Amino acid sequence: MADYRQMWSDLNMDLEKHDLLCEVLPEAFGGVYLSQENRPQGMDFYDFVVSEIHGVRPSELVEHRKNGGKVFGTFCVYVPDEVVFAAGAIATGLCGGSQFWVPGGEKVLPANTCPLIKASVGARLDKTCPFFLIEDMVFVGETTCDGKKKAWEILNQDVPVYVLDIPQMKREKDIAAFEQEIMDFIKKVEDVTGNKITPEALGEGIKLINNKRKALQRINNTRKASPVPISGKDALLVTQIAFYDDPARCAQMGNKLADELEERIAKQEGVFPADAPRILITGTPMAIPNWKLHHIIETAGAAVVVEELCTGTRYFENLVDETQTTIEGQVRALAERYMKTNCACFTPNPGRLDDIARLVKQYNVDGVIDANLQFCGLYSTESYLVKQKMDELGIPVLHIETDYSENDFEQLRTRVEAFLEMLGK
Amino acid sequence: MAATSDYDWYILFPNHHEGLRLNSELKLRGIKNTIAPTPRAASKSCGISLIVLEEDLLVIDQVIEEKRINIDKIVQLPAIKNWKFRGC
Repeated sequence: MADYRQMWSDLNMDLEKHDLLCEVLPEAFGGVYLSQENRPQGMDFYDFVVSEIHGVRPSELVEHRKNGGKVFGTFCVYVPDEVVFAAGAIATGLCGGSQFWVPGGEKVLPANTCPLIKASVGARLDKTCPFFLIEDMVFVGETTCDGKKKAWEILNQDVPVYVLDIPQMKREKDIAAFEQEIMDFIKKVEDVTGNKITPEALGEGIKLINNKRKALQRINNTRKASPVPISGKDALLVTQIAFYDDPARCAQMGNKLADELEERIAKQEGVFPADAPRILITGTPMAIPNWKLHHIIETAGAAVVVEELCTGTRYFENLVDETQTTIEGQVRALAERYMKTNCACFTPNPGRLDDIARLVKQYNVDGVIDANLQFCGLYSTESYLVKQKMDELGIPVLHIETDYSENDFEQLRTRVEAFLEMLGK
Repeated sequence: MAATSDYDWYILFPNHHEGLRLNSELKLRGIKNTIAPTPRAASKSCGISLIVLEEDLLVIDQVIEEKRINIDKIVQLPAIKNWKFRGC
């Protein structure tokens, strides 16, 4: 068997504790994913990635470090990965989606912090995730919520955290401020890597990340079909893995999967009956391995056809303009693209409501499940406005607040089943 | 892959390259196989394994031999017929 223990030991991981996570993963993944029927063959790659989740990609990052490259760890879709790759460095997602890491975070954070933040901090402090322990990795935080802002100060006591200031409004002066923030980030990345970011290099970085987005867009476009050719669980997994994988390989494997899904549509082949209820999930991110809500919905007979989430459309919608040839023009294009993403940290945030309404139509959605992680004040508060907007459109909404634990699994299932019954399909 | 017999058969490998090679060879031949994380009951090491059907074992053995694919072992485990949700 693949033995990564030497690498994990070299990374100073807590092997004994980490082993508990390794023990649970096969059963957790099997229960959610391998229990599905008629999965696309292209999912083989993603099953492989999960099977080797703390092995293959971390070993690539370690190798990159050995060859003198730098790694940047990020926690948010507003961090411009283009800049990192333009400098010959690698950006990797770090968001924690496992209950396993939550107690580690609670050692230094209040219990009433959202599980994503607690898990992200806990994974580092407990030394149970190799991604968080890559030598000299630059942690890139951001200001998308109060919980994160304070968490970075605490995490900074263990490892330096560079914080990107994300605007909270979308006026012209806010976009200009984000342009300046990207300029500062370029300087930071150049200082860390020792590589100058030229317009040619940034242009390549923009194309690289755009190609990844295009592949994810293709996959998700196929989900507009009825019957839907891929389960929501599988589509979610593809997006989750995109945060960690090499972007070129992500685009290649994504396009391969999209080819297969397009063939399925041509053959009218689906993974749910054509009359299955079609659900849009909106709300807070679902970092790997958070598959709970999708599993509940899809084992109740409905299909999740689109996610208005950071682990969904917010991650891959909107491309960066590739025609700019100066750093100033490219940075402006980056700022404009990232400021099109509609997170609840912005005020006002009508763009998100418009996005949900548009996706409801495009994906022929029967019902919306608005799910936020516990203690996320931003998304929880915005749920009022989501409900108001959906009421205007006559689309049923179920608001759910949950965490990573299994404790509320049966209660959630009861609520979801009742909601699906109410849809009357 | 839903279990149809009382047992699942897991093929384990010394590294993921060998696992992916066999996965690819079996797909070429239309032999059903599923990439899965190795269950703890099969090995203490983690990484990929392939779940295959009992009736295909003989032909899979031939492919392994013909293509000189290195495997660690083939493990028979009671089939999980009703997967239950477990968070991790």
